[in-house]
Amino acid sequence: MLVMPQSRLKNILLSSIILLLFAAGCSKVEYAKIDDPAYLRVFNNLNYTIGLENKDEAVPFLTMLIDPEMDKDGIPVKAAIKGDFLDQREPYAPPYPSHIGTGISFKNVEYPGKENVLAGPILNGFDLSSWAQIPSGKHRIVFMFRPVNSVPFFELDTKLKHSVLIDTTMVLDAKEVYTLHVLQKNFVTRKNGIYLRKENFHKLSLSDSLVYVNFYNMSAKGFLEASKDQKTSYKKSGALYGGIKDEMNIFYSLYTSEKTMRGPVYGYQNRLLGKLTRNSEVLEVSPYYNFPLFADGKSNGIFTNIWQRLDLMAPGMDPANNPYESFQLETNGNWAPVNLMTDGKSQLIGNDNAAQLPNMIVNIHSGVYNPRSFSTVNTIEIVNGNVYLTTVQRKYAPPIY
Amino acid sequence: MNTRKSIKKLLLLIPVLLLLFNSCKHEDLEIVKENENFRLASDFIKNNYDMTLFYAAIEKAGMTAQLQGPGPFTVLVPNNLAFQQIGISRPSDFDKMNQDSLKSLVQRHILNYRLLTRDIPVNGVDIRYLTLAGDELYTSSSNFNPKGLANYQFDLYFNGAAVVKEDVNLANGTLHVLNKVMKYTPKSTVQDWLAKRPQYSVFVSGLKKFGLWDKLATAGPFTVFAPQNKVFEASNITEASITALNAKDYNGKRLFGGYVMDKKHFFISDFFVFRFINDETTFIRKVDNDDWLMIMNSASDFYTKLNTLDLNLRTPVDFYTNYNSIQASIPGLSDNLTDNGLVHDVQGLLLLPEQALINNSPNN
Repeated sequence: MLVMPQSRLKNILLSSIILLLFAAGCSKVEYAKIDDPAYLRVFNNLNYTIGLENKDEAVPFLTMLIDPEMDKDGIPVKAAIKGDFLDQREPYAPPYPSHIGTGISFKNVEYPGKENVLAGPILNGFDLSSWAQIPSGKHRIVFMFRPVNSVPFFELDTKLKHSVLIDTTMVLDAKEVYTLHVLQKNFVTRKNGIYLRKENFHKLSLSDSLVYVNFYNMSAKGFLEASKDQKTSYKKSGALYGGIKDEMNIFYSLYTSEKTMRGPVYGYQNRLLGKLTRNSEVLEVSPYYNFPLFADGKSNGIFTNIWQRLDLMAPGMDPANNPYESFQLETNGNWAPVNLMTDGKSQLIGNDNAAQLPNMIVNIHSGVYNPRSFSTVNTIEIVNGNVYLTTVQRKYAPPIY
Repeated sequence: MNTRKSIKKLLLLIPVLLLLFNSCKHEDLEIVKENENFRLASDFIKNNYDMTLFYAAIEKAGMTAQLQGPGPFTVLVPNNLAFQQIGISRPSDFDKMNQDSLKSLVQRHILNYRLLTRDIPVNGVDIRYLTLAGDELYTSSSNFNPKGLANYQFDLYFNGAAVVKEDVNLANGTLHVLNKVMKYTPKSTVQDWLAKRPQYSVFVSGLKKFGLWDKLATAGPFTVFAPQNKVFEASNITEASITALNAKDYNGKRLFGGYVMDKKHFFISDFFVFRFINDETTFIRKVDNDDWLMIMNSASDFYTKLNTLDLNLRTPVDFYTNYNSIQASIPGLSDNLTDNGLVHDVQGLLLLPEQALINNSPNN
């Protein structure tokens, strides 16, 4: 029988227990990293609904596959990047990543949306955390129609993985910001396509005291001319539901009264902002128009409650002598107003025919001021009978409670 | 003294060993006991008082042994009421049917994989499922209204037949009870289907007279509402009187074209499905190649879930005139599926010949 001194035994036991604890506490953390990333955001602009009339059309619920690998029958089995459950986009894309952590439904209204991927950084002060980082270079991109259920794409039945929307390649440059739109190109033939836009707002010298907005009309060819019973799914857009003409002028007016037009900002009524041309083919970035953040002379330079009204009018028309009534929905594509007011869900008091969007000016608690108004950079896109707003904001001082 | 020391050393080791053992994870092994109350498909159908006619059909088709097999099967069983609608009220009535078509009828109601209602996409329309007969079913499910209240309902249709009892557990699969027999005539067109049935001969002669017959053999798809001869005879229209009409005096696109919908593939249940999932309480569409409108409203019986359809023609002007409203209200005669479309029997006439005269009506 080995005779060991008591203290020596104690030491051995103690050190073995400590060793065990250390061994259990170690774990290796791997951080994902992409070298030379490009920043991509994907929206599904197929905003038609399936009804009795178009019962046999594909439901606009998509899967995006970047650099997929196909098996011998042409069915995708794997992809480098997958954006699954891509649903029709929502009217407002806020400047912060609003879909992270919202787990009520499996549907994703944009990519990255809810997906757990590397997010974009802060470029020139602009918070790009709603954009995903993907490796730059040439990529093959495939959009597939998929059934509306929560089964991940690669686990679906083989016969459900045949429906391709588009299969093409795109080239992404490093450190550039891209927005990719899945669009309907032709309303009559139902032909779909994609539209990749390289944003430039992070490269322009934009002032903090001006609110910037640019416009795109990505409607399908033949939408305006189609009969109105094919456009019943756009009823909530007011006079915009029937579409607008291919060339329109944009007028803007600013108001300070909430939900009415009784408090106009003098000097900013019915001013011409720019032109809007229908274009869903040629890639070009529209110029940014602007108006002052504190246009209201009575504001204190910290907070302003002004909201914006846009009047899209056919060339030759002017909102000052508008032949249409304020409640009229049938304007033959000559006039479509948009109110950018509060949260975008309430209408003007009275029977208004405008489409609703949230206010372009972001009012939020920052520093000691609650709330404080910040200027933003906005993109307004008109797709068939709906209007969408995407807002990007510079990083601002955190609130002090 | 030595043993006491060694015991003490052992006791010191016990807490260390306890720590080690507690950190081990034990996986709970639960052995699932199979429920002895579930029966095989053939046994279940045989013992069910409402499925006696389907069991007789299975027997006559010689498929009882197959349905006792390991499966898994999904059996869509039309209940006895469904068979009575197509004129079968006793097992001996099956002997009058062609035995091959009886076998394919039974096979069309059996899937060789397990399909539970939770596997069917929510609000899905025309989802295809393969049956033992080799053809595919059109499955539509109406579950929630995206524009309406957040309530959830469950209405499932296979080829226009509603499921009245779903997800019945069997030892070798699952079973759903339908309220109609799914009727499909393989390798035939709408034209063949109408030509083979002498009770539609007046309707066929009308289609031929106004040049609408030939297209019914093309790809389509077509949805045809067909009135039987007795409906025409009630208004004194016979084949002879149709042949005697001068085709140029009458607007054939409305008189007979109103019954044919081109490029549409509708079961009667589809109208009810879209009523819920898309708020389409009424379906209004233009008559093909004409400017008159056809209005369609559907309804569903609360207890039997049988669907009926009301249709009528309407003039296109603001102060419109609604013409005769007719119904597709006999479920046993609707949803006749062929390869290029469907035929539904209607019990009325959309327009009388006098109402379709070209010079008479101010809307022509």
